[in-house]
Amino acid sequence: MKESARINDLERAARSRRRAFLAQLASLGALAASGRALPQTAPPPADPPGTVANAEVLAAKAPSFSAHSARPLTGSVPAEWHDFDVTPNDRMFVRNNLLTPSLDPGKHVLRVSGLVNNPLEIPLAELKKMRAFTTQSMLECAGSGRSAYQPRASGTPWPATGGMGCPTWTGVSLADVLARAGVRPGAAHVAFSGEDFGVVPTAPKVIRSIPLAKAMERHTMIAWGMNGGDLPRVHGYPLRVVVPGWVGSASIKWLSGIEVLDAPFKGTFMDDSYRIPRTPVEPGGKMPADAVTTEAWPVKSIITLPGPGDHFKVGGRLFVRGSAWAGESGIDRVDLSLDGGKTWTSARLALRGDKYAWRRFTFEAPLDTPGELVIVARATDDKGNTQPQASTWNPLGYFWNAMPRVGIVVDKA
Amino acid sequence: MRAAAAAGALAALAASATAQEPLVPGPGAELTQAKCAICHEIGHVTRARLSRPEWEEMMRVMVQRGTPLTPDERRTITDYLVTYYGREAPSPAAQAASAQAAAAPASDPVAQLLNRNACLGCHAVDRRVIGPAFREVAARYQVDAAAAPKLARKIKDGGQGAWGQVPMPPNPGLSEADLNRLVDWVLAQR
Repeated sequence: MKESARINDLERAARSRRRAFLAQLASLGALAASGRALPQTAPPPADPPGTVANAEVLAAKAPSFSAHSARPLTGSVPAEWHDFDVTPNDRMFVRNNLLTPSLDPGKHVLRVSGLVNNPLEIPLAELKKMRAFTTQSMLECAGSGRSAYQPRASGTPWPATGGMGCPTWTGVSLADVLARAGVRPGAAHVAFSGEDFGVVPTAPKVIRSIPLAKAMERHTMIAWGMNGGDLPRVHGYPLRVVVPGWVGSASIKWLSGIEVLDAPFKGTFMDDSYRIPRTPVEPGGKMPADAVTTEAWPVKSIITLPGPGDHFKVGGRLFVRGSAWAGESGIDRVDLSLDGGKTWTSARLALRGDKYAWRRFTFEAPLDTPGELVIVARATDDKGNTQPQASTWNPLGYFWNAMPRVGIVVDKA
Repeated sequence: MRAAAAAGALAALAASATAQEPLVPGPGAELTQAKCAICHEIGHVTRARLSRPEWEEMMRVMVQRGTPLTPDERRTITDYLVTYYGREAPSPAAQAASAQAAAAPASDPVAQLLNRNACLGCHAVDRRVIGPAFREVAARYQVDAAAAPKLARKIKDGGQGAWGQVPMPPNPGLSEADLNRLVDWVLAQR
């Protein structure tokens, strides 16, 4: 009771702030001779019943978390607020395609169908009795970093950093569930669907499929836990898929259906979104007909300490920390530059952790000259792939993985 | 700790509101607002600058994603987007149209209410879209003395079952005055 009262207060406060802001915007618009503003800024229709309000989701996020769009709800914290070995719940990015559903775990059932010998209907409580494990895995939205692309691509304006996280997940191997169902010959893809829904009933379900080989990889899991507790509601409570290292959209939240197919699932979230050209196209160009669906993230890193614009004193020491990952590969080295990329030194890497976890790195240097200094990081994976200066432009703005840069100021002592 | 999180949430919402730039006035702006804002913030439109083939492709995808549109509406919205949110700067004609629209008096308050609350996303006056035609609603309530309060409650709280299994979302933010204005207007559509 208390909790919901607090949430109502939050919503009221948010609404009145928003009204004040819109009123201000309207008066500015009225003043502008060009009259660019419509008579009213239209608030979107209210959320239907059975959903979790944005204010409730955002109240559980860190102060550094900013929403990039309220409907569908998306948001992240920038790299300098990701200075953790394991991403806490309040820093994990949010990317909904539809609304956040409010689900009853007591009624939640996982259905497995398609090319299987024994179609299954497993209640959540029964699923939780299967052999569970916990592992730390990367999840990153395909569009993470999209704002850095020029010309701009449409879609959620993810900032150059943020849109990723590396928490621990608890659940069962998808392979164990598929073994229980008995995958039949001819199976090639496994599709997932969730219980989320849109404002209009004509909105199609978000359904994505992954190749059988990735589905059978033992880290690909059906998770009910995140960082030791239940999944937060916006992150898929009570059940979700985690397809580690791959674009986040593969990891369907609020999971209720698994279907084994003889080919990739056909649907708008496979055929219209999450696609990338096989070979580079001219910036601003169209998606080629033979484009492919996005899978594993390429090698990438972020600098989590210091933050942009931080001040230091001559004579002090600089501590740099960050994280590096590559969808299906390990991280072999991270090089650091303190002069904008002219000279490079190797950073110290933390021990390898779980297969799909990011790898933390540290670097230390004396600060002996005053002025501005640009820190650049460059990660290399165990297949020899290195982060580029700028990522290859693509029509939907996916896979931004350029070397991160952080400018700091060294003041006279 | 909780207070800090709450403050953060508010800041985050406010930040999201600042991304909301209204659509440029012009032929089709209100329809574009009504249709697009059903499912997503209008900021997704105002940020974009696309060519005609790109907007046509985007409209195809949005219809795939469930946008209820007649062919005429689809054409109107596409033309509006190409004119005002094209890859190139707005044409002189578009700018002139925009100035003209700004000089025009504010449109009918009921039309504004219908647009602002995305009613026209699911309803039309004389035919079924997702929900019933306003005319059908008016006809059903014609003989009911308590029609106005019943309809007002339906608009405010949402509902399901009266016209089919598709639920109508609630509109809790409507003031009494606006609610009455809408009810009177709907009941007059016979």
